[in-house]
Amino acid sequence: MLTALITVFAVTEEVAKAGKSIGLGVGGGLGAVGAGVGIGIIFGKVIEAITRQPEMRDEITSIQWLGFALTEACFFYGLVAGLLAAFIV
Amino acid sequence: MSAHAATIDAGGAPAAGGATPGGSKGGSLRTKVLIGLGIWLGGTIALIAIAGFSGTRNKEFEPQNEFKLDTWVHLGVFSINKAVMYLVIAATLTSVTMIYIARRMQQRPNRVQTAVEIVYRLMRDSIAGGNMDQRMAARWFPFIGTLFLFILFSNLIGYLPLPTNTEHELHVAGLTIPSFSLYAATANLSIPLVLALVVFVSYNLEGIRAKGAIGYLKSLIPNGVHGPMAGFIFVLEFISNMMRLLSLSIRLFANILAGHLLILFMAGALAVLLGSAWLGWFTLPLGIALFGFEVGLVAALQAFIFATLTAIYLGGAVAESH
Repeated sequence: MLTALITVFAVTEEVAKAGKSIGLGVGGGLGAVGAGVGIGIIFGKVIEAITRQPEMRDEITSIQWLGFALTEACFFYGLVAGLLAAFIV
Repeated sequence: MSAHAATIDAGGAPAAGGATPGGSKGGSLRTKVLIGLGIWLGGTIALIAIAGFSGTRNKEFEPQNEFKLDTWVHLGVFSINKAVMYLVIAATLTSVTMIYIARRMQQRPNRVQTAVEIVYRLMRDSIAGGNMDQRMAARWFPFIGTLFLFILFSNLIGYLPLPTNTEHELHVAGLTIPSFSLYAATANLSIPLVLALVVFVSYNLEGIRAKGAIGYLKSLIPNGVHGPMAGFIFVLEFISNMMRLLSLSIRLFANILAGHLLILFMAGALAVLLGSAWLGWFTLPLGIALFGFEVGLVAALQAFIFATLTAIYLGGAVAESH
């Protein structure tokens, strides 16, 4: 009985550890996927826009960095959630 | 071979391409790149040969301790630790450099003054002026400019190795000094959170002053939404207004923290953690590249984003509708 209980507890701890690792991996990984797609779209559109209207270059560049940082931040939201899952919860 | 070298030369140094014969110069660049790659890969292989491929996992080293705050001076609520020191340094640097440069403005600017003037124009015209009307921009420009410069300095001194790590100590010539480490005040959630709170309170107050409390809450609902839908939209907009506090602080905090973590891991922590020597050598170029990326782009970009979003929120709070 006791050994069975100890085994169960050991297994649950292992499972919890696995779940935390999965949380970190999914948070960081899927966050990176989304932000990667978004940043790709932003820079692609910027190239398109500048080739169409080179005279708007300065304005487009400042908007581009704003969009880049806002999109990149989404990756960090995922990462922070993953880190929370792995180390704090 | 020579044609290929010439194209590399044309790409690498377009200014010098015409005058010098392409073959020799391109060849030397190519050789340099190959030598660098050779040293890198050769060092990796040599380290694998010497120390073995797999190491033993180091249980003692905990990377999160790099961000742990040890209290140095106990003063109750006003205790001093690493983050407080970085805050004080950043605040002092911001005010001292800016006041010094403003005091000795000259008709014919030197290089530093030109750079500061460019930053000033960026803050005044594109950050504050581009997102608010004239009167608002004039009133809030000092606040936004201070935020921008403070966050910029705070991020940048975070990439200077300072003797702050009291956990591991160095013994040099009989003296015990804390080992050098990277840390930034903005890599700690509380500082961006306080900055975001100041911004949050000020734009909400500005909105309430412009439209009255009821009018401000009503203005959260976009034009043209009526009936029961308006209540639902109001709740959504209200929550998204609250979320600005979170997103503003976490964006800055997580960017700087993740940057520091990546530099830390690439520049050696991974090798120490996994106990394999070749990994440290292998990831070092990545670490240097990331360091350049963080110093050159992320530090300034995050300060710019924080200031721009502050201006956008302030402008949006008083705008007639959105």
